[in-house]
Amino acid sequence: MTLATTPLSVWYLMRGSGLVALILFSMTIGLGVVGVKRWQSSRWSRLVTAGLHRNVALLALCFLAIHVVTAVVDQFVGLGWLGVIVPFKSAYRPLWVGLGVVAFDIVLAVMATSLLRRHVRFRTWRLVHWGTWVMWPVALVHALGAGTDRVSFGLFVSLGCVALVGAAAVWRLIPDRAVPDRTTPPRPPARPLATARSSS
Amino acid sequence: MTPTIAPSRPRPPGSARGGPPAGLPRLLPDGPVADRPSLARHLERLGPLPAPGGLVDQVDQAGLRGRGGAGFPTAVKLRAVRSAAGRRRPVVVANGTESEPLSHKDVTLLGHVPHLVLDGMVAAAVAVGAGRAVLCLKEGSGATAPVRRALVERSGLDPVDLEVVEVPARYVSGEESALVNHLNTGRALPTVTPPRPAQRGVGGRPTLVDNVETLANLALIARFGPSWWRSVGTTEDPGSMLVTVSGGVAHPGLQEVALGTPLPEILGRAGAGPAAGILVGGYFGTWLTPAQISGATFGWTGLAPLGAAPGCGALTVLPETCCPLAELSRVADWLAGQSAGQCGACTNGLPAIAGALARVVRGDPDGAALGLVRRWAAMVRGRGACKLPDGAVAFVLSGLEAFAPHLAVHRDGRGCGMTGHQALLPTPQWRTS
Repeated sequence: MTLATTPLSVWYLMRGSGLVALILFSMTIGLGVVGVKRWQSSRWSRLVTAGLHRNVALLALCFLAIHVVTAVVDQFVGLGWLGVIVPFKSAYRPLWVGLGVVAFDIVLAVMATSLLRRHVRFRTWRLVHWGTWVMWPVALVHALGAGTDRVSFGLFVSLGCVALVGAAAVWRLIPDRAVPDRTTPPRPPARPLATARSSS
Repeated sequence: MTPTIAPSRPRPPGSARGGPPAGLPRLLPDGPVADRPSLARHLERLGPLPAPGGLVDQVDQAGLRGRGGAGFPTAVKLRAVRSAAGRRRPVVVANGTESEPLSHKDVTLLGHVPHLVLDGMVAAAVAVGAGRAVLCLKEGSGATAPVRRALVERSGLDPVDLEVVEVPARYVSGEESALVNHLNTGRALPTVTPPRPAQRGVGGRPTLVDNVETLANLALIARFGPSWWRSVGTTEDPGSMLVTVSGGVAHPGLQEVALGTPLPEILGRAGAGPAAGILVGGYFGTWLTPAQISGATFGWTGLAPLGAAPGCGALTVLPETCCPLAELSRVADWLAGQSAGQCGACTNGLPAIAGALARVVRGDPDGAALGLVRRWAAMVRGRGACKLPDGAVAFVLSGLEAFAPHLAVHRDGRGCGMTGHQALLPTPQWRTS
């Protein structure tokens, strides 16, 4: 099977959707850091950050879905449906495409734990969410290694994304100033007023 | 308003002396008031709590639903806690905080028959394998003294440790996760669920949190069995319920009614006057019009078609002599002030809704403020750690619906002339530190 059996438009769509997904995921990470840092202004409430973080992530997932489906449909890649989940099975540049599959698996885990947020422990959710800091560089390397646009505008887009996520990472690592706790100060656990011991 | 027990029919002779009460009241005792709460009097009336066994199935057969407000099937909760037990011994928490200003049934029940509630705590603890049962009361509750005396009487007599703990007075501090939080950290504020207390509660142990009236019913089921318990009420809604009737009634106070009793009968017994609306279930409840309740019976089945539920059993009559919108607005303000300040939708949303509602009362010719109330109500619903936003929104929206004719009177800003009348619905000023 060769590329000739798949319309060329699929290839265009795969490249385009991958690049847009990279931009959107970079924005999602940036918005996530804005949220964690609790930044807000009079014209930008934290609700806006939270809503954008979620919705840009969902949009990125849509483009990622297009990217993955086109990668399967394009027989030149030789990915197969199993290869969508299991890395390094593709015919075309198995290592570079495989890194994309690894990143996709992490995205799936982040998405699943976020959709089931109320049913997952906070710690589990956060641990999986930290996986995005692995996912993003892996996805970027996948884009540079497997992509066919890395010498043209794709490189500039990638550099822009590196600048954005790099800045976000630096900001994330700066320690927070202590936020005054406006809720009730912690007290010792409640003490009983009276007790009746058991017979035993 | 001082709660009184409504006079009930005289008990047929020979039904007392440690046997199952025939008819009503069954939770609250009949007869002379003196010496009522003592252990000796309690045992004389109902006999000893039988050796435990199979209580969960009995509660299931009885069809007991929680009396704290949500009406959750008690057997399901008991099973959840028992199956979550594993290596960790569960804890039982009896909720007697009664933060609802329109309800006095829990404090009255505890004041008159503290031992029935303590029996229920013991029976529930044995049923789920708990070694410790904690009774939570509101700070300064009238039930504290009788409960403390009751605990002294029972020292060394029960198979489990019994404790009584006071919880700061605040509307949300009686929510089950807030009680668990208070017992664990001293902060009586709701926490995000899951995990629910049944999974991870006091000290990380599976915790059964039940209202005190629910536990009193449990003690009756343990003594006299499910078929006796079902002899009162309807097939769908068996049993009795303590109902606090307040507002525009000649005889405010407590009634123990069979579920399925017609609402007009309950209100008639309390001597209700002409009403603009009736609030069913306290500030977490639903406003109904006199026309709506005229054919309704009290119970989950009877109230469901009207979009209402018995809740905590509070029935409040709003007389025609006060402005329902002013009352609605004042209570909405108060509910907004009861927010624990933990969740954004509640902290910001409830005061915004209350503010817009105040504008509706003052005059809202273009309906803009009313539109904001509806819009923001939809936005806060279902959000936050506890159900305060949902409760406040249901209170406001059902009120706007029930008082729709009155809404038109206020539209042009001239008011109804009753806005300044004396406040009717209570808004206790608790020290919310």
